[in-house]
Amino acid sequence: MTAVIQTTNLTKQYGTQKAVDSLQLNVKQGQIYGFLGRNGAGKTTTIRMLLGLVKPTEGQIEIFGENLFKHQKEILRRIGSMVEHSGFYENLTGKENLLINAKLMGVHKKTAIEEALEIVGLEQETKKLVGKYSMGMKQRLGIARAILHHPELLILDEPTNGLDPVGIKEVRRLIKSLAVERKLTVLISSHILSEVEQLADQIGIIHQGRLLEEVSFEELRTRNRNYMELQVSNDNKAAMLLEQHFEGVEYEAHGEGFLRIYSHMGQQGKLNKLLVEHDIEVTRIAISEDRLEDYFIKLIGGGTIG
Amino acid sequence: MVNLLYTELLKLKRAKMFMVSVTGAMAAPIMMFIAFLSMKREKPETILTFDVSFYNTNLNVLMLIGTLLYGVIAAYLFSREYTEDTLKNLLTIPVSKTSLIVSKWLLLLIWIFALTIVAWVMTLLLGLVGQFEGLSVAVIVDSLGQFFVGAFLLFLLSTPIIWITMLFKNFVPTIIFTAVVTMANLTVIDTDYQGLFPWSAVHMVVTNSAEFVYPISYSYAIIFATSVFGLAATIIYFRRSDID
Repeated sequence: MTAVIQTTNLTKQYGTQKAVDSLQLNVKQGQIYGFLGRNGAGKTTTIRMLLGLVKPTEGQIEIFGENLFKHQKEILRRIGSMVEHSGFYENLTGKENLLINAKLMGVHKKTAIEEALEIVGLEQETKKLVGKYSMGMKQRLGIARAILHHPELLILDEPTNGLDPVGIKEVRRLIKSLAVERKLTVLISSHILSEVEQLADQIGIIHQGRLLEEVSFEELRTRNRNYMELQVSNDNKAAMLLEQHFEGVEYEAHGEGFLRIYSHMGQQGKLNKLLVEHDIEVTRIAISEDRLEDYFIKLIGGGTIG
Repeated sequence: MVNLLYTELLKLKRAKMFMVSVTGAMAAPIMMFIAFLSMKREKPETILTFDVSFYNTNLNVLMLIGTLLYGVIAAYLFSREYTEDTLKNLLTIPVSKTSLIVSKWLLLLIWIFALTIVAWVMTLLLGLVGQFEGLSVAVIVDSLGQFFVGAFLLFLLSTPIIWITMLFKNFVPTIIFTAVVTMANLTVIDTDYQGLFPWSAVHMVVTNSAEFVYPISYSYAIIFATSVFGLAATIIYFRRSDID
């Protein structure tokens, strides 16, 4: 697949602090790319650089195979974007706000605004001033603005920020359907793993300005293995017994009596019997799966994604 | 540019700022009219004439109200893209930064001229109501010329105000700056230095004052140099700055 966005050593430094550090981003055509990271990880700075709003300290950006800094005008015309909260002229209606964009983008199709409003479900709100819109309506209007000129690439920075669960679901459904129906490449940033998980084909994880991993969800799922989780009265003794009686056992001790065993699946009975015979009380045996969230927490060194 | 200007006008739809500015523009003629009525009451033999009325109103606009009012309008036009967080959308359309500044500056000129018409018409109407004397074609032409030349020069002097607005992305420093300029106008008025301070020099140029101690070309040069400096600073700053 052709790369739609490709960055080389992309860096942005403010004073002595690197907000983005040697980023190598690869977004392929037709992908929904989830750009994941905690608040302040460098997502928005990266997106602003991709849109030419912020100048990089170092590095190159290629979009559609062209250097962004040399062909910024032509490249931006092919992109639809929404950076953080959508800003609008609150004294105007949604339609009038879109009219400003249509005029400046050179969108001549008369029905383009109505079509965009219909896609995001705001076609009935033609007389309502944006100042009276809810946060969810503003985000949907932001998406309408981003798709007004039929872009090939959609860059959305935290599009569900500040929305209630119903709003989040609506925006997610909207992005998914747009990507499929219009065959768009989408870069969507978020600090919420579950949101990206339900949308993206590929993810890039950014932490403290550095891209830690770029991987497809398919690969990620195959990496996450099943395991047996045990809670025992003496985890040290249990671990010793495991090593003695189960050859090649793979396990992790998680403290407070918790053990995770990644090998010898299906031998829970034998395992339980062994521990009980050696006076180890077993209060829990369960088959579990490494959740993606655990994986990310491991990757970014503890804490939560948000 | 036509589309940009159209969208700039569209952004003003339902904006309260326009009506507020019209009210502000009417303040100078009304204050002058009240002053004339007060003078007439104290000295009934005083003859009130249109040429004096136009001159005083224009003096009031150029030295006091205009500097403040046009400064606030400039700050509103240029800061709203920051305060309403719409700048990033415009620049990713993409709209060139220089074109955006020029279109807003042109809109400012249209706005200032519209307010100048309001002030002039108001002065005329109040003069008719007060039965002022000496209305003639020459007075009308001269006064219109002085009002519009003054308005245009104040428009040229809006560039440093725009630069300050862009620099701080906020109304407040701009209002402080225009207040300081207005105070400086009052300080230098009727001194030898009136023609050397850009904003007070406007009145000297408009009235082509014969008593001026320095050549009038100095005033022109100072006004244009200030304008060019402000415009260059605005464009260079805006083109180089990141949109955070």
